[in-house]
Amino acid sequence: MKIIKTLSLGVGLMAVAQFTTAAGAGNTIETVDPEADRMALQNFYKKRFPDTELDDYVNGIYSVDAASRAQWEELEEFPPYEFAVEEGERLFNEPFANGKTYASCFANDGVGIRQNYPYWNKQEGTVKTLEMEINECREKNGEKPLKWGKGEIARISAYMAWTSRDNVFDIKIPEDDPRALAAYLEGKKFFYSKRGQLNLSCANCHLQGSNVRIRADLPSPALGHVSHFPVFRSKWGELGTLHRRYKGCHKDSRSKPQEMQSDIYRNLEYFQTYMSNGLVVNGPGARK
Amino acid sequence: MKKTLLLSAAILLTPTWVMAETLKEAFETHRAMYGKDHTFTWQGKEYSTNHPEELEARVEPTQGNATALLELAKAENKKAASVGYEWKLTRGLLKNAEAAIKEGEYQRALNLAAQAKYHARIGIEQHAYAEKNWQLSVPQ
Amino acid sequence: MRKLTLSICAASLFALSAGGAHAASEEMIAEGKAVFMGKSRGNCISCHQINDPDANLPGNQGPPMIAMKQRFPDKRKLRAQVWDATRSNPISIMPPLGKHWILSEEEIDAVVEYIYQF
Repeated sequence: MKIIKTLSLGVGLMAVAQFTTAAGAGNTIETVDPEADRMALQNFYKKRFPDTELDDYVNGIYSVDAASRAQWEELEEFPPYEFAVEEGERLFNEPFANGKTYASCFANDGVGIRQNYPYWNKQEGTVKTLEMEINECREKNGEKPLKWGKGEIARISAYMAWTSRDNVFDIKIPEDDPRALAAYLEGKKFFYSKRGQLNLSCANCHLQGSNVRIRADLPSPALGHVSHFPVFRSKWGELGTLHRRYKGCHKDSRSKPQEMQSDIYRNLEYFQTYMSNGLVVNGPGARK
Repeated sequence: MKKTLLLSAAILLTPTWVMAETLKEAFETHRAMYGKDHTFTWQGKEYSTNHPEELEARVEPTQGNATALLELAKAENKKAASVGYEWKLTRGLLKNAEAAIKEGEYQRALNLAAQAKYHARIGIEQHAYAEKNWQLSVPQ
Repeated sequence: MRKLTLSICAASLFALSAGGAHAASEEMIAEGKAVFMGKSRGNCISCHQINDPDANLPGNQGPPMIAMKQRFPDKRKLRAQVWDATRSNPISIMPPLGKHWILSEEEIDAVVEYIYQF
C-alpha cells in the first residue's frame, strides 16, 4: 500500500514538473523577478499556441480560437461599446459643479495615459488604478464617487482607454520602494492560488485550461488579459470594469469575492498588467 | 524502460512522501474510497471516516444543541473570511440553519451548521495549503 | 522494480474481487446521471465527454468518460478520484467533489455508478 501511494504521488509530481523547477525561485520576496515572470509567461504561451503572434494576445480568446474570432470580428464592425465611448467622452468633458473637469486631475489632461495604470504610489504606499483616480478626482472636486463596476465609471474609463489605443503598456515596479515588489508578489500569489469550494486558481483556467472547453466556453489566455478593459460583455449586455470581472471570476470559484478596488484586486491588476508590458492598450473591448 | 526510469526518479525526488501516511492522509484515503461511517485502522488504532462536524451534528436535536453548533460554525467562518478564504455558500447555509432553528427543525439545523462549519474549516486549510504550494503552477 | 509491479498487480486483483460485488440499481444510475449533468450538482459534463445521447455540449478540460472499467479496475479508486483529484495531481483543475462537500457521499456513489457503465 505504501509503495502504491508513493507511486501515485510520484506520478502527480511529474504532472506538476512541467510547471515548476527549483522550488522557491522567483516566488519569495527575496527572489521574485517580474521580468523573468513576464518572459516565462510569454514562453508558456509560445509553446502552447505556436501559431499566435505575441501582439495578438490583446485579443484574448480570439487570438487562439479561429472559430470564435470570425464571429467577434463581425461584432467589431459595429462595436457594441461605441455609444459608451461617446457618452464617456461627454462625461469626461462635462464640468463638475466647481467648473473643473477630469482633465485637471491627470497627466496630459487625461488623454493617452491608460498604459501607465496601475502604478505604484510611494506616498500612499499602494497600487493606484485608473478607476480609483477617476473617483478621487470627483471627490477632490466636491462630487460623489461613482460605483466601481459599471455605468459612468466604466464609460469614462472606456473613453480614456480609447484615447490611449495602441499605446504600449509600461508598468513599473520602482526599486526604491520594496513595498511595490511585495504588492506585485501578492498579486502573483493570488493569481496562482487555488481557492473557493471549487478549488480553482486563475491559472487553472487561464494557463493550464486556456482554450479548452468548459461546456461551451473557452477560457482566454492570461497574457493580455487586462489590455481591453473596460469591456462590453455580451453576457452583461453592457460595459463593465476589470474589477467587476475579477469579482465575477472570483465568485465562479465559489468563493465569497473581495470588494472591487480592494488591495488584493489592485495587486492582482498590478501583476497582470505588468505581465502585459509590451502589449498595446486596445480597450474598450467586446467579449462574449 | 523510460517509464521505469521516470518513476524511479519521481520516487527519488519525493523522500518525504515515502514516510508513512499521516492520520489526515489515511482519513482522506478511506473517506475518499468508502464514504462515511466506515472504520479504518491507523497505527494500530481504529478510526471512523466521519468528519468531526458530522459527529458534532449527531447529538440530541434540541434548540440548545443546534444553536451551539451554529455559533461554532459562524466563528469558524469568520476565521476563514479573515484570511480571505470564505466560500460562497457558507453564509447561505448559516442562514438556513438559523431559519431551521426558528422553525423548530433542529436536526436539519444541526446538519446545515455542520456543513457550514466544515466548509469554513476546509477553506482555512485551503489557505494554509496555498501559502505553501501556490507556486506549483507558476510557469518557469 | 519487479517487486513493485507485482505488488501493484496483487493490489489490483484484490480490488477486483472486492469491488463490483453487487450491481447498481437503475434508480442509482439515474440519480448519478442527474448529478453528472446537473449544473448546480456535479456539472461533470462541463469538462468530461460521455457517450450518452443526453450529453449536450460537453467540455473537454478533463478526459472523456470511456473505458472506465479498464482505467479503474478498482471502482473505489475511481470514487477516490472523484472525491479529491488533487490527491494524485495537486494542480488539477478538477474540483474535489467529496473533500469540499460539493456533492454528498450518496451523490458521489451514484455518479460513480453512472460513469462506470461507460
